[in-house]
Amino acid sequence: MGYYDIDDMLTEGSEIPCKFLQDIPGLGYLENNPGKPIKANAKLMLPYWLAHILAAIDNIPLSEDSMTVDDEEEPVPFLEMSTPESFSQRVINAIKTDPKSLDLHSINPHFYELAIKWCAIYSVKDLAKVVSELLLQRSQDINNFAYSMSTQTKNIDSIGTMSNITESKPNNLLASSSFLMTLDELEKYVYRTSHESYKNSKRWMYQNK
Amino acid sequence: MYCELANKLVVEAKRTEQLNSRNNARTTLPVHNDELVRDILNEVTQLKKNLEFFKEQQDIMSMDGASVDSNVMKCQYFVNLLCLERNKRCLLGYQKLRSDMLDSMAWENNGMDVMGSDLGEENSNLTHQEQEYLKKYSELITDMKSGELTDIDLSGSLTPPREIFIDVRVLKDAGEIQTEYGVFNLIKDSQFFVRQSDVERLIQQGFLQKI
Repeated sequence: MGYYDIDDMLTEGSEIPCKFLQDIPGLGYLENNPGKPIKANAKLMLPYWLAHILAAIDNIPLSEDSMTVDDEEEPVPFLEMSTPESFSQRVINAIKTDPKSLDLHSINPHFYELAIKWCAIYSVKDLAKVVSELLLQRSQDINNFAYSMSTQTKNIDSIGTMSNITESKPNNLLASSSFLMTLDELEKYVYRTSHESYKNSKRWMYQNK
Repeated sequence: MYCELANKLVVEAKRTEQLNSRNNARTTLPVHNDELVRDILNEVTQLKKNLEFFKEQQDIMSMDGASVDSNVMKCQYFVNLLCLERNKRCLLGYQKLRSDMLDSMAWENNGMDVMGSDLGEENSNLTHQEQEYLKKYSELITDMKSGELTDIDLSGSLTPPREIFIDVRVLKDAGEIQTEYGVFNLIKDSQFFVRQSDVERLIQQGFLQKI
């Protein structure tokens, strides 16, 4: 999650539907309308890194010279973020129905990281609960796949001691690769790590025989 | 819309990262995307000009005493500033990934002359500055190893040896080497049974291959 984290940058590049609450001159290029002002209530998609600051900007203390002007009126943020497509009711329902067969990667390749950010800003407890449950459910499957993949590669090494397993392997490989396509980046990381460690522990046990 | 180019750069960085996590044999660096970086830098210059313009306008307005919607003015300012920051972060992230990879390349090559022969073809993927960086970094490693830590082979293999003596095959002619057990004449395709610690270096440099 550091400054140089590539995944974090990609997460922040996710687009969020936003609504401007004030008229702002000169920002028309944000909605492909360069040179024109942006009107209040204009709706457009903005990347997270831009939107979340602009939505929070009324919390920033204004400098002295503008204090006097803004005293009488309530500070209004420049824009308002609405729930991104990734966390829409439709997706939440899909998660609740069957977390395991969900194609998370096509929803958002950085689903979890965005969810963490989103929950942190708006403290949406429901979403946090749903998402952590989702990860819990899916991690069991991920673990299973990581384990079976590592045993299969072992079988190649110790030449076909169980030939019936080697026969069914192409099917398994196919199934697991299509399963892997549905993982989001965080899950992929979990998969890779557990796969590695299963492989390493197998090798260690094998060596000590 | 600003920063779309920067996004492209980060996506590319991600792909590089993925490729390298997959083949754990050796770090390979793709070509530095000069063109994209230059375009982003141009965008940064443009953004900077915008910011200066906004600042001037604000100054003029405050001089006139007509502080009309300075808040709204700030929004433009902010959007530009954020784009600037985003571009900066993406550029730095891209470069950091590359420099990290260069670091590991230097370590893999045992702090030897990384600019040497077997990396020649990869060097064309580096920019001039990166080559310079790699050279300096390798020098640092060499310095550190020849300093107080001479007794420890910092860049040695991390897997403990199984046997003291190993069979090796010669991949490249390397002339004669002297060991405790006599002189070996390393001619291509010949085989020897030697003490591992004697030939470790030669294996790392690619002269010998363990059988």
